[in-house]
Amino acid sequence: MTALTVENIVAGYESGMPIVRDVSFSLDAGEIVTVIGPNGAGKSTLTKAIAGLVPERTGCVLMDGKPITAPAHALAHVGIAFVPQTENVFTRLTIRENLQIGAALLPRARRAGRIDAVLDMFPDLATRPTLAAGRLSGGQRQMLAIARALIAEPRVLLLDEPSAGLSPALVEGVFSSIAAIAAGGVSVALVEQNVAAALRIAHRALVLVEGRVAHDGPADPLRSGKLLARLFLGGTGDDPVT
Amino acid sequence: MNPQFLADGILTGALLGLGGVGLTLTYSILRFANFVHGDFLTAGAYLALVLAGVLSQFLGGDGIGPFSFGWPLILALPIAMAATGVLALLLDWMLFRRLRRRGEEIVLVMASFGASLALRSLIEFAFTPEPKYYSQDLQIALPLGFGVRATPDQLAVVALAAASGLVLHVLLTRTAVGRAMRAVAENPDLARVAGIDPARVVRTTWWLGGGLAALAGVFLGLTVQIRPYMGFDLLLPLFAGVIVGGVGSVPGALAGGMIVGIAEALAVPIIGAAWRGGVAFLLLLAVLLVRPQGLFGMER
Repeated sequence: MTALTVENIVAGYESGMPIVRDVSFSLDAGEIVTVIGPNGAGKSTLTKAIAGLVPERTGCVLMDGKPITAPAHALAHVGIAFVPQTENVFTRLTIRENLQIGAALLPRARRAGRIDAVLDMFPDLATRPTLAAGRLSGGQRQMLAIARALIAEPRVLLLDEPSAGLSPALVEGVFSSIAAIAAGGVSVALVEQNVAAALRIAHRALVLVEGRVAHDGPADPLRSGKLLARLFLGGTGDDPVT
Repeated sequence: MNPQFLADGILTGALLGLGGVGLTLTYSILRFANFVHGDFLTAGAYLALVLAGVLSQFLGGDGIGPFSFGWPLILALPIAMAATGVLALLLDWMLFRRLRRRGEEIVLVMASFGASLALRSLIEFAFTPEPKYYSQDLQIALPLGFGVRATPDQLAVVALAAASGLVLHVLLTRTAVGRAMRAVAENPDLARVAGIDPARVVRTTWWLGGGLAALAGVFLGLTVQIRPYMGFDLLLPLFAGVIVGGVGSVPGALAGGMIVGIAEALAVPIIGAAWRGGVAFLLLLAVLLVRPQGLFGMER
């Protein structure tokens, strides 16, 4: 069942200078779609545009087939959570306070239980809940950012380069968590520079080149690298792989 | 050194801390130096004066126990706080909300300077430049030991300012509204995607900031006098206290206000009362040069 549909998104930061050009894709329940592409392809701008954080945007985002017209702060209320690449936790707030911010979307009676449940998923965070998030390591911050996004039980999770700046060991941990989250029924749109790691857990891949969709299909054929290299260099997915 | 200067500094510091809390909230969440804050303080003091005058017609004007103020001022205080909060909201709606969309801080600062001038002139026109008092009763300062004396009103102001700071700290750290305010202060975009409505937080900040300014204004009027320039004259030490403590930090504003208040008072016997205002300026410069994030501020 399709959870999120993105139709003909054109987005950028200045009028008349789009970075994302006419992008459409859909996201099924429990599916991981990785958005990959060369630097400057518009991957991060695409997730920000879906989250309503880009000033210039046309096109349509639909949840369960219904267009979303709400402002950015209301997206969380309709089940879309976004984890930006940087500055994705409130550094002056404690771990628990960060989670309480996310939990505020839930009915009061469920908040404490849900915070405990999410802390169980990320044991590193559970040991020091009163620590300021600014004192966490890069990997722990990433975990907290994902935990904060997950706490209100979103149906769609938009992740912008969750592995950026992390050691290989931490990357494995983050990607295992993402796979587990999707296995629980959450649809994940994963923007990633670490293409190999992203393709390992993704069901589908959306390749963006110069703001346009160069390929939208199963992740498997891209794992060999040849097709991917050709797409990154401006070829099409229809050309035979040599 | 005469410890009386220290006691005077604590009283001034308590007032600066309380006034600074509202300023630091508006500074960090609305992201501009709001020059009207001092005049909110003045407006609150005058509103309480008018309300207490009306209420004293029904309740009588006698002070309670050793204090110069009675039930009329006690009842007028929360009404004046709420009304000043509404005044702040009204000003935001009429002026700052439109300018905020343009996103230029300097435009907001200049607009606040103009609004400050207008509000101050309006108050001066309505109430004249003559100083006013909540009570004309003489208060005898009580000996507190070590040669320190303070009036019951001064002691009440210090105690109430400390209690207000504590209540505010609890509000900001233990409630959803407070967490939302701190979140928007740090990262408005992340707060937005986390489901926080920034417009609602901005409204809360104006209301709370205005109310706290009124509280500081009434306390200042109670211990000194009420006059149209009382808030404007306090702006430099208020900003100094906020920056010393760290912009955005409530404990920082309270501590910074106290540091500036005490430093000013202790400087009086050394450099003379005429130069005490310069102490706040020196402290401000020193902090900006040595530790720009202030004592309680965190480096980004």
